[in-house]
Amino acid sequence: MIAANIQLQKPGFELRAEFEVPAGGVTGVFGPSGSGKTTLLRALAGLEAGVTGNLVVSGAHWLSGSHSMSVQERLVGFVFQDPCLFPHLSVMGNLLYARNRAKNSSYQIDLEHVCEMLNIHDLLNRNAGLLSGGERQRVAIGRALLNRPAMLLLDEPLSAVDQGGRNYLISILENLFQNIEIPIFYVSHASDEIARLAENLILMNQGRVIAHGELKQVLGKIDTPLNASDEAFSVMRCTIKSHQLAYLTTVQTAGGEVLQVPRQPLEGDSVVRLRIRARDVSLSLQRAQESSILNILPATVVALSPEIEQGTRTVKLDVAGDSLLARVSEYSVQQLQLQPGKAVFAQVKSISLVG
Amino acid sequence: MLSADDLSAFVLTFQLAGVSTLILLLLGTPLAWWLTQTRSRWRSPIEALIALPLVLPPTVLGFYLLLSISPSGPIGSLVQALGLPSLAFSFWGLVLGSVIYSLPFVVQPLQTAFSSINRQLLEVSATLGAKSLDRFLSIVLPMSKIGYVTAIVLGFAHTMGEFGVVLMIGGNIPGSTQVLSIAIYEHVESLEYGQAHWLSGILLVLSFAVLLVVYTTNRRGFKVSAP
Repeated sequence: MIAANIQLQKPGFELRAEFEVPAGGVTGVFGPSGSGKTTLLRALAGLEAGVTGNLVVSGAHWLSGSHSMSVQERLVGFVFQDPCLFPHLSVMGNLLYARNRAKNSSYQIDLEHVCEMLNIHDLLNRNAGLLSGGERQRVAIGRALLNRPAMLLLDEPLSAVDQGGRNYLISILENLFQNIEIPIFYVSHASDEIARLAENLILMNQGRVIAHGELKQVLGKIDTPLNASDEAFSVMRCTIKSHQLAYLTTVQTAGGEVLQVPRQPLEGDSVVRLRIRARDVSLSLQRAQESSILNILPATVVALSPEIEQGTRTVKLDVAGDSLLARVSEYSVQQLQLQPGKAVFAQVKSISLVG
Repeated sequence: MLSADDLSAFVLTFQLAGVSTLILLLLGTPLAWWLTQTRSRWRSPIEALIALPLVLPPTVLGFYLLLSISPSGPIGSLVQALGLPSLAFSFWGLVLGSVIYSLPFVVQPLQTAFSSINRQLLEVSATLGAKSLDRFLSIVLPMSKIGYVTAIVLGFAHTMGEFGVVLMIGGNIPGSTQVLSIAIYEHVESLEYGQAHWLSGILLVLSFAVLLVVYTTNRRGFKVSAP
């Protein structure tokens, strides 16, 4: 378990973070820019001076009252937005720099294995300054891993990477995260990254932790600032069923509902995650006939967001046991008389299969 | 050609410049690093103090130095109390003067080099377990090569060309405190233009060659470190 109750006062900004997440798996840290995600990560690493409170990681007190463990003692791997490779060293030099300073004896990690997971074999003899953004970030992640960290902190690692490299890097990260057992914190403001990589979620706004816990549980909280905004989204776990229809792949939710998504090169029965933006979901009382919208699901209204932002509300629905969010105008809420318990049809305009 | 006195002036000048540069590097490195890291309110006054030789006439500096190393001055009495030979009109007196006089020429290039290093590199290094001395030796030092070359050349050259301070505190004792710049002055005063030509010419060619090497390596250095 990682339990934090920390505060930090900076000019014009205050961080107050209280959360508890399991000491394994990926915890996404999500929120708008300026909400304190990076500062939280830096505070966890011990890179911010003046942090007070308590921070306990798997029984070890990293911070308690006035005693604070140094950055070096915390054994964290930190991957910054900007990869920050040491420019006077080769790629190999960067990796060895980390490996030679590794102090954690609780596990071993092999240079060969790291290079393979990150596909950086061919880069080893190159000058660190001559790599692309994606290559540099892969080396930076490898460097952090070879130091055998007790915790891996990644601060928007995809932001300095172009679109093509981004898709590749995210698939590498997904694979990597399944292969390492240390706790990982992953900061992002992109919902597709969070939907794809995170198991737990810390939701931040204006320097505060708004909600924390299991990903779907946090996303389903109707009263968060995220769910009062157009950025609201839901995540569903589905199983690939068939590729019978042209251009489409059929997937099935845990509750048995069937959805069509753009054709995927995936085997039957593999488990995937769908990210569905609340603004791509509309509601009707009858099932639309002959509609261009492929996915129309019977649903029950569970709750409505208390806040109305720009005349729009978020409606939380239950779709055969899965929760789904929809952004609906306040006018429609009145017209359709939406209230908890009401049966509706959710029309899903767009789904992205994130992994 | 060169007389025995001229030769010993040569040797003395290079010894003085070499020793002073070495001391300046040992002194300037921590000083410049402190200046780039500190938020102390003493930073500005200390920076101003270091830069003083840039604007002060060397004779002013020499005059105060002469007073302080005289047997009744603060440094002089300290030296005497320690039982060491007097600094006035001695090699080590010249070293003291040169170190003070050339300090900004070493500290400022180092300070520029240190402050151009991305702080996040040091943070990465810290998360990888490097303590402060390790960080300095493994990141800061190798990334400041160009700054060091500049500091060494400027420190050395500036000490070599020093005149006013040396004249005030070292006098003009051939073989002991007579450096090149003073030897040249002496030759000109005694209308020995031939001798003056030889010394001046050698100094000119030497200085040009050193600067040429520095600028060439600097340019190459920039090319390598460009991202």
